Order: sequence, then C-alpha cells, then structure tokens
Amino acid sequence: MRAIELFRSSAFRVTLAFVLATIVATLLTFSFVYWQITNADEQSVRAILVEETSKGANYSEEELRKALDLRMTRDLRRLDYVGLFDSSGELVLGNVKKMPAIAIDGNAHLVPDARPLGASDRVEPAVFVARARADSSVLLLGRSLLEVYGLRKTVLSALAIALAPSVLLALAIGLFLSRRTTLRLARLHDTLARIMRGELHIRLPTRKYRDEIDQLSHDVNLMLDEIVRLMSQIRNVGENIAHDLRTPLAVMRAKLERGLATPEEGALRLTVSQALHELDRAIVTIAALLRVAEVENGPVSMEFTTIDLAAICADLFEFYEPLGRSKSISMTFQASPPVSAHGDTDLMREALSNMIDNAIKFTPEGGVVRVSVGMEDGRPTVRVSDNGSGVQPGERDKIFDRYYRTERNGRIRGSGVGLSVALAIANLHGFDLKVSDNNPGAVFELSRRADAGRSPVLAA
Amino acid sequence: MVEAALTILVVDDEKALAEEIRSALEPLGYVVRLAHTISEGLSEARAGEPALMIVDRMLGDSDAATMIATLRADGIKTPVLFISGLSSVDERIRGLKAGGDDYLVKPFAMAELTARVEALLRRLDDVRTTRLRVNDLEMDLVDQTVKRGGTAIKLLPREFKLLEYFLRRPGQIITRTMLLEGVWHYRFIPDTNVVDVHISNLRRKMDAPGQLTLIVGVRGAGFMLNASH
Repeated sequence: MRAIELFRSSAFRVTLAFVLATIVATLLTFSFVYWQITNADEQSVRAILVEETSKGANYSEEELRKALDLRMTRDLRRLDYVGLFDSSGELVLGNVKKMPAIAIDGNAHLVPDARPLGASDRVEPAVFVARARADSSVLLLGRSLLEVYGLRKTVLSALAIALAPSVLLALAIGLFLSRRTTLRLARLHDTLARIMRGELHIRLPTRKYRDEIDQLSHDVNLMLDEIVRLMSQIRNVGENIAHDLRTPLAVMRAKLERGLATPEEGALRLTVSQALHELDRAIVTIAALLRVAEVENGPVSMEFTTIDLAAICADLFEFYEPLGRSKSISMTFQASPPVSAHGDTDLMREALSNMIDNAIKFTPEGGVVRVSVGMEDGRPTVRVSDNGSGVQPGERDKIFDRYYRTERNGRIRGSGVGLSVALAIANLHGFDLKVSDNNPGAVFELSRRADAGRSPVLAA
Repeated sequence: MVEAALTILVVDDEKALAEEIRSALEPLGYVVRLAHTISEGLSEARAGEPALMIVDRMLGDSDAATMIATLRADGIKTPVLFISGLSSVDERIRGLKAGGDDYLVKPFAMAELTARVEALLRRLDDVRTTRLRVNDLEMDLVDQTVKRGGTAIKLLPREFKLLEYFLRRPGQIITRTMLLEGVWHYRFIPDTNVVDVHISNLRRKMDAPGQLTLIVGVRGAGFMLNASH
C-alpha cells in the first residue's frame, strides 16, 4: 500500500515529469551533436575530394601518377580510394577493382557498398568523385566513411552512458523527496483526522523553514483558533440566553404556583396575567437576540439604495414625539437636509428608532431629548442626546453588548438589546455608533465611517 | 358574531398548537377543521372550501409554501395566514411571495391570531369608498376632513391615517403590531408603549367630554372601534 501511495503522490509525479524532461533534453543535445559531427565530417570529406580531383585532373600524366602513388603509400589505414582509368574504362593505376556506378561529373557521390582492394572482403560506405581528364581518361578519388561512422557510434554510446546515470539520479532524488513529502502529509492527515474527531485543541505541526506546507498548516491552525473562538462564543450566547430566560421563567413559575394556591378567583386572574407578562418579556428577549444575530450575519433581503436620513429621522421624530410629550419631555428636532446615505431604509429606521426609544426611556420627566441630523465633514451624522443620568465612562462600550444590563435611574433597562441591534445595523452600513457625555446626559452619535466607501458590504 | 358559520382550516403538524387554535377560534363562531400533513391539507382545502387557512410554514421537513403554490395554481384563492417559527425578514417575504396573505411568527398571542384572522376575512368585502362613517363620526377621504356630530375635528396627517385604519375596520380587534404595519409601515416593534400614546392623543381629539369613547382598548389584545350604537 505504502509503495503504491508513494507512486501516486504528487511529488513522485513531479519527479517522473522531471526525469522525462531530462531524457528529452539530453536526447536533443546529443542529436544536435550527432548531426553536427557526422554531417560536418562528411561535408568536409566531400569538399576535399572534389577539390583534389579537380586539381588532379589538370596534372600531367607523370605528376598525376606520382601523386596517386604517394597517396596510396601514405594511406596506412586504407581509407583512401584511388583510380585512374583509360578511355576504354580499364584501370591503369589504383586500388579499386572497378569503376563504381557513379556519374563522371567531378561531384561527390555516396556509395554505400564500396569494396577496398586487398582489404579482405569488407564493405563500407564511401564518398567518390570521378572526373574526366583532357586525354579522356578518368580520375577517381574516394574516401571511406568508416571513421565518420565510427564517431557516430561513439557519440551514441556516450549518450547511453550519460543518460542512464542522470535518469537514475533524478529518480532517486524524486523518490527520496516524495517519500519525505508523503510522510509529512500523512502526519498532517492523521492530525486532521484527530481534529475532525473532536480534539479541537490539537494543532498541525509546523517547522522553522516555513515552506508552502508549513504556511498552509499555519493557516489551518489560525482557522482552528477562530473556530474554537466562535464555538465558545456560541456556547456563551447559549448560556446568556439561558440566563436571560431563567429570571422571567423563575418569576413566572413562582407566580403560577402562588396563583394555584390561592382560593380567590380575582387573585388567580391577576397572577395569570402577570405570568403572561413575564412570558412576553422572555419572548421579546429571544426575538431581539435572534434579531441581532440576523443583522450581524447580514440579512439577505436588505436592499441598499440611496436613502434620506433626514426624512427617516423626521418620520421617527413625529412617531416618538407624543411619547416624549406624555412624559413631559421636551423634544426638539433639527435637520439640515438633504442627508443622503447608502443603505436599507427599514434597517436604518430600526436602528434610529432604538436610539430615540432608548433616549426617551432613560430621560426623567421634564427632561430634554434632542434629535439632530445633518452632514458633518461630508459624512451623514445623526445625534440623539438627552439630559438624563448619562452613561458612566466604564460602561460606554458595554452598553452595546447584547447581554449587558445597566441600571440607570434605578431601573433595569428593557431587554437590553436595542442598542446592540442598532450597533449591528450601523456596522452593516459602514457607520459608527458611539456614546459620549452630554454633561449631563448622554449623546449617541451615528455617523458614517471615513473609510466606509471601502467597506466590503457597500462595495458589493 | 359571524353571519354564517365560516370554516377555517388549520394545517399544523404540532397537534397541541392546532388544538389551541381551534379552542381560540370556535368560541368566535367559526367551524375549525384540522389537518396535520401537506396531503391532508391539500385534500381538505380542495373539498372543504374553507374561508381561510392557517398554515404552519414548516410541516415536518417540508415547506408548506409549496402546498399553497399548488393550491394557487389550481385557482383556489382562499386567504392564507402563515404561522412560523422562522422569524427572519427573509422568511416572511418568502412566505408572502409564495401566496400567503399574512405572516405571524411563533410564539404569538392568541388575540393577535384571532385579530388577524378577522382582518383577513373582512378584507374580502372591503370596498373602495370616499366616505367612511361610524356612529356620529364621519370621514371624507377626498377632502381629508373629519366631523363628529357635525363638529369638525382637526387631525394631523398621521392621526388621520390612524383613524381611517379604524374606520375601515369597525368592530374589529386591531393589535398594536397591525397598527405599526398598517399605519406607519414599520416592521420593528418599539420597546415602549408609543402606539398607546398615539391612540390616547387621537381619543382626546375625537371624544368631547360626555361623548361615547369610540376607540376602546381590548384587554390583552389591542383596540377596537366601537360600532355598537
């Protein structure tokens, strides 16, 4: 199995490709050398023969005989062919048996089966040139290509000798590397399998050198950290929801128990209606917590268009103004329209309504709530300020936490998630929601971030 | 309360909830039939000719929206009120697109359910009109004027809309959520009793001392325009 896995591994396949490339490259190089050697040699043999024949054809009979004799005696290896034929075609002088079947035109011709005189019965390829002389005798010169062909053989065996070790070496290196990689990947595979079985605290091994596999392992480890963080967050959300529900459920249970014990019908009815009220509180809490999650995950149905924040604020102000008046809170509205932004009308309205709702809730009778909307430094900004008890500096981040409850004016704050919903909506729009001191009271400011244009949601 | 006994078909695989809905609707004079699966719901809807269907979005593993789409394709136009544990805005839109006429998220108050049932049934005989009249209150929709016993009442535009909503539904229970959706077109539920404040402001303008209170509160449910006289 291991061996098969090794051959299937991608590192080994890379090795095979590399080996193949080595073979092809070597073959190409040798082919070039081979072609160069054989061709160039044969060409020079041909050129020399043509030139010598043309010279020899013009020699006097005596000079020619001398030169031919010299050529035959000097040719110890019996590579040269020499022949002088008279006008009737009979050999006068030379070391060829008969005139080869070539044209007598002074050009070089290849004869594959030349037979040198005296040298047993060897047959060899040779180049011949025949030229007619002025006295109509024919001069024949030739040279065996045995040497050239021998060189070819040498080149071929050199190729074989050079190719085999490089292929073997590449294969060996490839096997070694792919085995190492396969082992490393197998370790990673085993670790991942353990993690998938639930051992989320385990991390993939990484080394100092940081190659691609280490980099990948490192990324996977970061991903695992994030998963663990999210899982613990979900667990916390679950615990927090349970905690938020435990109180109303406990109250409800106690009330119902007491109601059952009472003999009086009027008291029973009161108890049941109080229990219902507690139940409604629990339902509102669940709905609001789910709403935050929904907004944070980005609702699919949101339709981002150009919206007029001034108009939305004016509409909401009109909606809430009677509520403020009923608490003797003086409410003022200031708008410098148009205040256009890119967003979803329903979501923005929900966020702004939570801000105004919150301000009215935490402003005592006779207080003041101001809503102002306009462009500041080119950024749409909405401010909702009150002169209530304000938010302690230490609480300013916490009040946006969906589970945080603060006591202001001695009252426990509703479901406590209104501002979390507002913050989630603000973030979705590339807006900031911040609280600061109003001396006395609090100012909630919703304004577009300076870099909101580059927000991924808005760019989409 | 209702002229002829209207039949309401409840399709919900949660039998306890279906029974509760039956118990809430029967005292109001409706005949309630129950179905627990999509196939039961389909045959009941075709054979029983109900006046209204109350359908749980998720029946077991199946989406009841497909059932409604099938009925709508057959030309059955019975109004449908979806009830669902799927609360997100997307699901709501999807339910309404599938042919639902209203959408209520679980858990809901029975008063909210019955109010919406009545609203859906009344909607059938809602006609276009330019004048609305209940008791001694008269509203001219063209001139945008309101008179009570001949005396003109000055209302803000939103107060006018609010009163019109009531006048179009006399004697019908109207919940706070229905007002938020119908008058303000708001989809969120405010944390405070802001709707009640608007109603009491409207009452103050409409009811002179000694006059009959026209918009009355209905305990645990909402409000109703008193049309009994």
